[in-house]
Amino acid sequence: MDVGTVLHVMRDPAGIPSHPVVFQVLMIVTWIFHIAFVLMTLGTAALAIAAFYKRAPGTYWEQLSMAMTKSAKVGVSLLIVLGVAPLLFTQVIYDPQWYTASVLSARWLIAFIFTLIIGYCSWFVFYYSNHEGAKKRLGIFALIGLGLFLLDGLIMHVLAYQSLLPDQWMNWYAPEGVLDTRGAKLHAIQWPRYLFIISLSLPALGLYLLAYADYFRNRPDRAPEYLRFVRRLGQQLAVWGLVISFVLLLIWQFAHPTSTKLAEHPVGWLIGASLLALAWWIRRRGMLVHGYLPVLAGLGVLSILAIWRELIRIRYMLPFGYDITDYTVHADWPSMFLFFSTFIGVGGLVGGFFLITIYKAGQVEGLYTADRKVARLGTAAVAVLGVWITIFFAYGITIWMRNAFTL
Amino acid sequence: MDIIGFYPTFYMPWIGSAWVMGIIGVIHVVASHTSVGASFLFALLATKAYRENKPELMDFIKRYGKFLLVFSYIIGSVTGVGIWYAITIASPRGTAGLIHSFVWVWAAEWVYFTVEVIGVYALVYLIGKVDRLTHLKLTWAFALASWATMLLIVGIISFMMWPGSDAWYQTGSTNDAFYNINFFAHLGVRTGSMLVMAAIVGLMVVAGMKDKPEALRKSVVRTITPMGLIGGAIAVIMFFYYLQTLPHNALVMLDAHLLPRYSWGMIAVVTVTAIYLVFAWWRPLWVTTWVAVPLFLFIAIVGVWPEERMRESMRKPYVAGQYIYGNQVISRDVPGKGIQGEVDVIAEKGLLKLHPFIPERLRTITPENQIEVGRILTKISCANCHALEPGAPLRNIPDKFYGSTDKDLISAFINGPLKHGSITYMPRIDLPPEEVEAIAAFLAEANVRRAAGLPPSTVSANADAQQE
Repeated sequence: MDVGTVLHVMRDPAGIPSHPVVFQVLMIVTWIFHIAFVLMTLGTAALAIAAFYKRAPGTYWEQLSMAMTKSAKVGVSLLIVLGVAPLLFTQVIYDPQWYTASVLSARWLIAFIFTLIIGYCSWFVFYYSNHEGAKKRLGIFALIGLGLFLLDGLIMHVLAYQSLLPDQWMNWYAPEGVLDTRGAKLHAIQWPRYLFIISLSLPALGLYLLAYADYFRNRPDRAPEYLRFVRRLGQQLAVWGLVISFVLLLIWQFAHPTSTKLAEHPVGWLIGASLLALAWWIRRRGMLVHGYLPVLAGLGVLSILAIWRELIRIRYMLPFGYDITDYTVHADWPSMFLFFSTFIGVGGLVGGFFLITIYKAGQVEGLYTADRKVARLGTAAVAVLGVWITIFFAYGITIWMRNAFTL
Repeated sequence: MDIIGFYPTFYMPWIGSAWVMGIIGVIHVVASHTSVGASFLFALLATKAYRENKPELMDFIKRYGKFLLVFSYIIGSVTGVGIWYAITIASPRGTAGLIHSFVWVWAAEWVYFTVEVIGVYALVYLIGKVDRLTHLKLTWAFALASWATMLLIVGIISFMMWPGSDAWYQTGSTNDAFYNINFFAHLGVRTGSMLVMAAIVGLMVVAGMKDKPEALRKSVVRTITPMGLIGGAIAVIMFFYYLQTLPHNALVMLDAHLLPRYSWGMIAVVTVTAIYLVFAWWRPLWVTTWVAVPLFLFIAIVGVWPEERMRESMRKPYVAGQYIYGNQVISRDVPGKGIQGEVDVIAEKGLLKLHPFIPERLRTITPENQIEVGRILTKISCANCHALEPGAPLRNIPDKFYGSTDKDLISAFINGPLKHGSITYMPRIDLPPEEVEAIAAFLAEANVRRAAGLPPSTVSANADAQQE
């Protein structure tokens, strides 16, 4: 059977509730935040381990190890929850690709869940153990945690890459015409892509440390020498990390199949240029610039990467005639309004209240008393949730009764 | 229709993908219900602490919150994604159907999830770090946001049971799908259950707070146990209402198979829980770890496992909205979405012709490949609910035929009740005669080999047996 025809038929017959480009944009944007936390977590976890083994009396490694352990702990929570959205939007417009890739490696998908739980629990054990004078053997929990996180990253990479190769699916599912329904194999790995993305955790860590040093600038319980040490370390990690990532990007650039002509595409090279430009900037101004600016620049690089991933997918799908813009649309305005109003109202007010309170409280040693703006934001957060729930029920009861009485 | 958009099949020998989903689902339900319920316990306790100037109550919230971080926000959130993955590999078309109807609802729920995860860190780690009024607002915002995640997911899960009216089939509107006939009853059961689960876990946390003053432990227990009892009463009342909102196929399944097996367990769980909560209120200091942990495990396993299994089973033969069968075939037209039923076209052309993931050499049945094809067709048509191995725990088909080796008997069943859809909890499976014969040949052969004490034949077991 023709692969392109099959891909079209495998699309959900219900169609999609809004224009496909809306989902595409959301998929790209939400992936940026997901991957940012993935990289931050891997970077901080790696540094937590390195600093744990490197610490010695009178150095800052111990303090840094504990701080990075906490950062990685929070990072995992956020990367998981932020990963839900791009996965959701991918399934809307690329459902044949995602579901087939998943089924073909089904056991690995399930293994992902359990290894992530074990890895995260292991990291928590390390977090609770990593205090002054902790025994070195406890580092094993951190190594297990980080090792499993990397494995989980590999599984996700494989699923994404298998999604790009629909002409291989039948060979994997029925090698030599014999069906294999076990889903026991990882069929395709593109190492340069995986290693490049993982390598970005090094510069991400560097940028994170620059921001960290600035965030705690006004805290009297963080010694200025410690913050300078962190900042210097961040600068070095960022510069060297960006150079390493650039080399891996070059390898990936030439790993694309010639027929895709991706090696000639300007966006791939734009990533390379932005990595080098960022390295140059951090090397020259890393100790002087406000630490939040490099993080913003890093998010800029990740934005180009997110767009590049999508361009790669579009190019791989081209020979099969798969174009998301011809997906059948059955517009559903009320549910679309539900999302955007929740995103702005709840995400903005409630999420904003939580984040601002955490941010401000973290900058103060001792008790933080909310200023007038934060206090009002808190009241607004509770109020908007009350309004949301009231509308949810009022609207729902109306529809429910209408349908119940027309049974 | 020359091709149907089927996916490859994933088959887990013996337990099937259904049990994989069930195991992950139960862990998730326990963790997530505890989390949502606990958020309201926190809100109540924090209000009490604020109004009565009892900051020591916040110690309990901090301890419970740290426990929740591991239990609910690691295990709960990862298994939440896990359920999604499990249903993806078990029922890719069913999952796609849900995603495409409810993507915006799920996206709204994702906003709440994100807020909730940030909120739990704020709530736990800012105790004593921010002024008390601000913390109280954080606590209430967290509680309401947590409940909102439940409000949103229950509508989708209820739709999986059925829309309850013809409206959604005609309009295709998410409104009609989400606010289905089952929704409010289902929400009531889950809201009540979450309060019970939070109280039960809360007692476990109190039991572990021996370093805290007795007065604090008493005060906490006497606050959370009434909430658990009220939650339990709501859950029980709403459960009886819930039964009134179920479709006919679910009620048949319930009466014929589920209640006879699970009713006594359910009665035992309700009774034990009620006695436990009353006892804890009466003698708060007698709640020790040795009492609290076993009772938590009993209530979580004996209470939640049957509940989740029943809900999954009652939905059969459908996985979503009474229009997608467990075997991924679309059972009926949904004009509002432009969806067409597929049963009749399969009856006319056969799965071998229409399924895109059948190797070319097996599209035509020959005496040499009949058993192999039969095994594939059985997996496609039946393995979402049944194991294929004799003696396997997941409603294995060879045992369902009482070990019969009679191909005609098996064919008669397929050509009779299955073809006409007369068993309410099984899909209508109408196949061309040669495909029916292949399935019958495979199942008869499985029983022949079992009777002879032989392992599955290498032909019929093909890749699975060779590669396992």
